[in-house]
Amino acid sequence: MAEDIKEQPESSEMGGAKKLSKAAIRRAYKDWMFYNLSVQNFERMQGPAIIKMMSDVREDLYPGNTEAQQEMLERHEVFFNTEPYLGCIVPGIVLGMEAGKAEGNDEISSEFINSIKTALMGPFAGIGDSLLPGTLIPILLSIALGMSPNGEVTGPLFYIVAFLAIMIPLTWFLFSYGVKAGANAAEMVLAGGIKDKVTRAAEVIGLVVVGAVSAQYAHFNIGLVYTSGDLSINIATILNSIFPSLPVLLMAFLTYWLMVKKNWSAGKTMLLMLVIAIVGYFTTILAV
Amino acid sequence: MSFLQALLLALFGWMGSIYSPVLIGGLGGWYTIGRPLVSGLIIGAILGDVKTGIIMGAAIQMLYIGLVTPGGTMPADVNFAAWIGIPLAMVAGAGKEYALALAVPLSSLGVLAVYGLCAINLFFVHKQDALVEAGRFDAAARIPIVGQITNFVLRFFPILLINYFGADLITQLVGAMPVQVTDILQIFANMLPLVGFMLLMRMICKRDVDLILFCVGFVFVSVMNLGMVAIVILALGIAYLDYRGTSSTPVSSERAGE
Repeated sequence: MAEDIKEQPESSEMGGAKKLSKAAIRRAYKDWMFYNLSVQNFERMQGPAIIKMMSDVREDLYPGNTEAQQEMLERHEVFFNTEPYLGCIVPGIVLGMEAGKAEGNDEISSEFINSIKTALMGPFAGIGDSLLPGTLIPILLSIALGMSPNGEVTGPLFYIVAFLAIMIPLTWFLFSYGVKAGANAAEMVLAGGIKDKVTRAAEVIGLVVVGAVSAQYAHFNIGLVYTSGDLSINIATILNSIFPSLPVLLMAFLTYWLMVKKNWSAGKTMLLMLVIAIVGYFTTILAV
Repeated sequence: MSFLQALLLALFGWMGSIYSPVLIGGLGGWYTIGRPLVSGLIIGAILGDVKTGIIMGAAIQMLYIGLVTPGGTMPADVNFAAWIGIPLAMVAGAGKEYALALAVPLSSLGVLAVYGLCAINLFFVHKQDALVEAGRFDAAARIPIVGQITNFVLRFFPILLINYFGADLITQLVGAMPVQVTDILQIFANMLPLVGFMLLMRMICKRDVDLILFCVGFVFVSVMNLGMVAIVILALGIAYLDYRGTSSTPVSSERAGE
């Protein structure tokens, strides 16, 4: 697999940048990473950030040729939207195709660039959203939450270090790979089975960690005391002797059933919980 | 709350908002200091009580842990929820249940700010087109920097003003609350983490059978009282067994036959 990746840029007619300097790639990478959502808007979304990125490398692609520069920038006056960080491979590919075109690759037409760009942004938005804010971030956050049950600083510090140590090298790899491989780069990510395996492993870890953090943070205290003459039975103690935090686990199953199986919205579920809290408090079934 | 504290909250709140470019875009911003757990650390440092800041940040974090914002649609906005909700609850000396109670309406206010911004910024999009047309390419490249003004105004000033002027009001309000309301809010707040976690389960729990993994994690804490590092190591082990079990390499089938 690794060898395939290295060979692709050479062997392909759709290949990306061959002569573009590392400084120019780094400048474009920084432009994208910093400004991708800076002027978010209804019409073009991340489009203006692509124009900024291309404008900042225009002298590297078409030195002194104002007309060609203008034509290139006008080509990107269109809608663009993807997940900005794992999807940063798409702007990388765009730059790679533009550089290939500027270097005289006749296979790459203006229509080709825009059709590849449009074809890739959707899939990478989906993959990026499900892997980054949908998997990696919540798992790292769950681990961090588990480290700070009493407000310890270790949790947030762990999250900051772990997240940036993963994401900064990874985004640079994806972006610069996109630049070098051009339109071929997408195949690696979209076709390879690696993504499914990594996702499954992350889901397994996530499920275990989320179960652990639920037990740590969620509370559902039964306050019911059954009294008959001298005898008083604390229901919570009995439940806890069967299984610690059993009420929380049952509540978790109920919430799962409502939200995952019955597709209840968060707001509706929260409303039900508020009703449960009010009724439970006044009937003394629930305690603080 | 002093004016300087409100100013610092507003500054960091803006830097941690979804469209802020200053901290490597969303990498250091929205996805790092914009996560309520990390926001709580910074807010705590500004207000002089890191521990309480993190406890409140953790509470809000759990509610929004499964939040994904696909294609600019915002189901909820954690920015105002964290950068206004946590400080106000802290200065009022209230518990995390009040930070949560403030978070929900503030999050709706934040969604409003997002949609307002997406409409206002259309001006900058057309300005950029005109600059390219006129051959002023450097000015066109500066549009994402200049256009950040919309996001700055919509984040910095609400956080500054609501924190600075709202502190006394919220303190009085919390003080006037009958004990029953606080108790009920606490019972309610103790259930809320489950909502956030089940939003996340929608994405990571593909089959009902996988709930057993959730239960395993639950038992690690409720029965075995394990720490987080130990739990992660065990989770990695389970993920490895799962990987070996599902990949059909000759080695694993041999082992299975033994």
